[in-house]
Amino acid sequence: MDYRTALTTCTYCGCGCNFYLEVLDGQIIDTIPCKTSPVNEGKLCVKGWNVHEFVQSPNRLTRPLLRKNGAFEEASWDEALDFTASKLREIKDNCGGNSVGFLSSAKATNEENYLFQKLARAALGTNNIDHCARL
Amino acid sequence: MTNSVAELENSACIFVIGSNTTSSHPLVATRIFRAKQKGAKLIVADPRKIQLALMADTYVRQNLGTDVALINGIMHVILDRGWQDQGFIEERTEGFETVKEKVRSYTPEKVSGITGIPEEDIVKIAEDFGTAQTASIVYCMGITQHVTGVDNVKSLANLAMLTGNVGKESTGVNPLRGQNNVQGACDMGGLPNVYPGYQAVNMLDNQKKFESIWGTDLSDQVGRTVSDMLGGLSDGSLKALYVMGENPMLSDPDTAHVEKALKAAELLVVQDIFFTPTAELAHVVLPGSSFAEKDGTFTNTERRVMRVRKAIEPVGDSRPDWQIIQEISNRLGYSMDYDSPEAILKEIAEVTPSYSGITYERLEGEGLQWPCPDEGHPGTKFLHKDAFARGKGLFHAIDFKPPAESVDANYPFWLTTGRIHVHYHTGTMTRNSPTLHSEVPEGSLEINPGDAGQLGIREGDEVEVSSRRGKIRTKTVLTERVKEGLVFMPFHFVESNANALTNPALDPIAKIPELKVCAVRVEKAA
Amino acid sequence: MIDEVKKRVKELLDSGEIKGFLGLRDMHGHVGPHLFHEESDLETMVLGDGKRPGDSRYPLNKQLIHLARCYPDDTMGVLVRGCDERGLKTLATWNQINSGKVISVGIPCPQELARACECLRPYPDDFVGGEKVEGCAHGSVRQVDDMDLAARFDHWMKEFEKCIKCYGCRDICPMCFCKECSLESNELIRTGEIPPEMPVFHLTRAVHMAGRCIDCGLCNEACPADIPLRTLYKKVADIIDEEFHYRPGYVADQKSPLNILSHTGAE
Repeated sequence: MDYRTALTTCTYCGCGCNFYLEVLDGQIIDTIPCKTSPVNEGKLCVKGWNVHEFVQSPNRLTRPLLRKNGAFEEASWDEALDFTASKLREIKDNCGGNSVGFLSSAKATNEENYLFQKLARAALGTNNIDHCARL
Repeated sequence: MTNSVAELENSACIFVIGSNTTSSHPLVATRIFRAKQKGAKLIVADPRKIQLALMADTYVRQNLGTDVALINGIMHVILDRGWQDQGFIEERTEGFETVKEKVRSYTPEKVSGITGIPEEDIVKIAEDFGTAQTASIVYCMGITQHVTGVDNVKSLANLAMLTGNVGKESTGVNPLRGQNNVQGACDMGGLPNVYPGYQAVNMLDNQKKFESIWGTDLSDQVGRTVSDMLGGLSDGSLKALYVMGENPMLSDPDTAHVEKALKAAELLVVQDIFFTPTAELAHVVLPGSSFAEKDGTFTNTERRVMRVRKAIEPVGDSRPDWQIIQEISNRLGYSMDYDSPEAILKEIAEVTPSYSGITYERLEGEGLQWPCPDEGHPGTKFLHKDAFARGKGLFHAIDFKPPAESVDANYPFWLTTGRIHVHYHTGTMTRNSPTLHSEVPEGSLEINPGDAGQLGIREGDEVEVSSRRGKIRTKTVLTERVKEGLVFMPFHFVESNANALTNPALDPIAKIPELKVCAVRVEKAA
Repeated sequence: MIDEVKKRVKELLDSGEIKGFLGLRDMHGHVGPHLFHEESDLETMVLGDGKRPGDSRYPLNKQLIHLARCYPDDTMGVLVRGCDERGLKTLATWNQINSGKVISVGIPCPQELARACECLRPYPDDFVGGEKVEGCAHGSVRQVDDMDLAARFDHWMKEFEKCIKCYGCRDICPMCFCKECSLESNELIRTGEIPPEMPVFHLTRAVHMAGRCIDCGLCNEACPADIPLRTLYKKVADIIDEEFHYRPGYVADQKSPLNILSHTGAE
């Protein structure tokens, strides 16, 4: 019996509600709002209460996919990463870093957003980085 | 937000405009309910009769895209009655005379003609807002997603400065950020013109600073926005697009144009947790891990940086985005070697002045609101306390401009779009949640019963909705929430994709598309 | 009181009588539910009193049901206040838990909390420390009862108007254990709208709480619209008490009259 709770922050809207994800034997079984959160004070909306459902959806992407002859095939991480990097490098070498665009994510963490813009700016040498702030 | 969410509940007057708060930011609505309970005046301006309208002291439904006229009208009345905060205007602002001159012609009579709002309601709003001890403005994409988005926001800033409602507790100009970490993505430099902490890329000092810390040459050229990237793919000037956790096939206006652009890419990389309509077009799809499977931080709408903690192992073979990015970067020959998100935050604090005092240790408890410039700093509850970033607050004299497109005989209905309470943005997550999906399994078109009667449409009927850009099918909901001549669609549903219809016309400065206004035709489906 | 609780839990863990103890701990600057396995863990244990007494209470019985469903053979310990203990007794009568597999460690509530809760019995039958305080009458119910019918109706409709249909009142309720919920039935209540159909959504839930609500007040605290749900359910409980002389969890093994009437038990 391995029951534990993880205190975290909601991934839906900009309110930033805090809740505990209740985990039993490696599966999230429920979400419970954090009573002492300065934002939500023990309350949640319907999306928050059910936030654990999509996490463990059978529809989650679980393997890298590569398009081969027009159709997607499962690939290993090495294969997918090598393909991505080599194509990016080829395009950068042939047409310059400014011919690559990066769409970052308002769903990803600060740390990930930071790395992504650093990838665009430092590794590709372009400021073509944006996200859906306007959408 | 200039102010904090909790401060709203002690505001004496709250003006909600272009925000369906109970649906899109429910836990902000909580504070509005409380303020109302404590006797605050609630003003709601929204083309749809949203839930908050039910309890508003004054509810007005402006014609789509007429916000500048409404706000100028409110300021006209405030100045006419002498309700402005002259002390604040003189000490803290400049440019007041130009606004005073500009709004002189925006009489209630004229404004009523443009907005469709009764004159007496404009006066009532001016009185409630102008005479309140503390007044807060709350807005969302209903204000910004217009070709006049910047004008709309500046007008609200004018109203706040005119009445001295900024730089003190329970006041302010408070945009509600739509995505959980849209604030953080902006703070982290996920924008084409700024490094982390809004440091301009085209200023040499900033460039030198980041070149020295990152150990490489950087570009001083402002990059492309989302819409420019799509344009670039279409005209061939952009060859590749790497999309992390976004779904432009549903979130961007004029889907047919988006699809054409994405298909033109030599390389489309999509990193996501689900197989989105955008992923369907990719050359390579990289499975990321969800927020429950990793550590990190999010920054909410009130600038509060809070911890994200790992609850379970990554699902399947998925990997946290920060690990994937490192792998790609290393393969490109630019070394990244962080052993944890915490190590990344340390670098963020080093390069981002407003995050300098933030550490994982200090985020225990209630988190920290930026600016937090050093490790002794308690964080900042509300902005602009003694001065604005530029010193004095600048008034902008702004004229009303109509939306980019208008109704005509072929497209006689105004369409506006938005969110509903159980779904979220492009539905990638919520439609994979059985509970949420069963509450609202499909999209719909809200139409006034009067209009529906004219078209011979009954509740639940299938209709075809077409605009100058596309056509979709959906079912109808007959409701007085929309007035005659106006229809509404949520944009969560790929089968009835509202953004196949919307107008990609952009605000010239912010480059935000006018998703909230377009002209459509509604016909009963054959 | 915390020391007595820790001592008792340590005894139960040491003796092997329980597999784990469901209680509360202070971690990351917040109080949340935790399953204690080891003595070293107990340092972080708290009772759920933060800025105000009882402001960090969680539906531990709900978590207990989750665990019991997956590990029916294990005996578990759980922290209980008066309301939680009423919950355990009532859940046993609805066959949701096996009393033989639960050992509760009780604490009485302080007067301030009892008053805030208007709790008739702010203490469990057995408690390991502290003093029990007097119960408090349902003043909030009387306040609403004193309104005339039209004002009363108005009062509730104004409250229901704020509902954002989060289902939080149900989701946090330790007594809501049905697999299918009437609140989600489209035939009964039109789905997909906020506020949900008035007043049928809230009255449906109130009716289902009759003979079941143990008056813990967690629903009230979880409501993002601050709807005084507790007052509503207290009223329902008062009616059941008047008509059937029954309050859930006051007498062990006493079944709800509605349980007997419906005879289907938990659906």
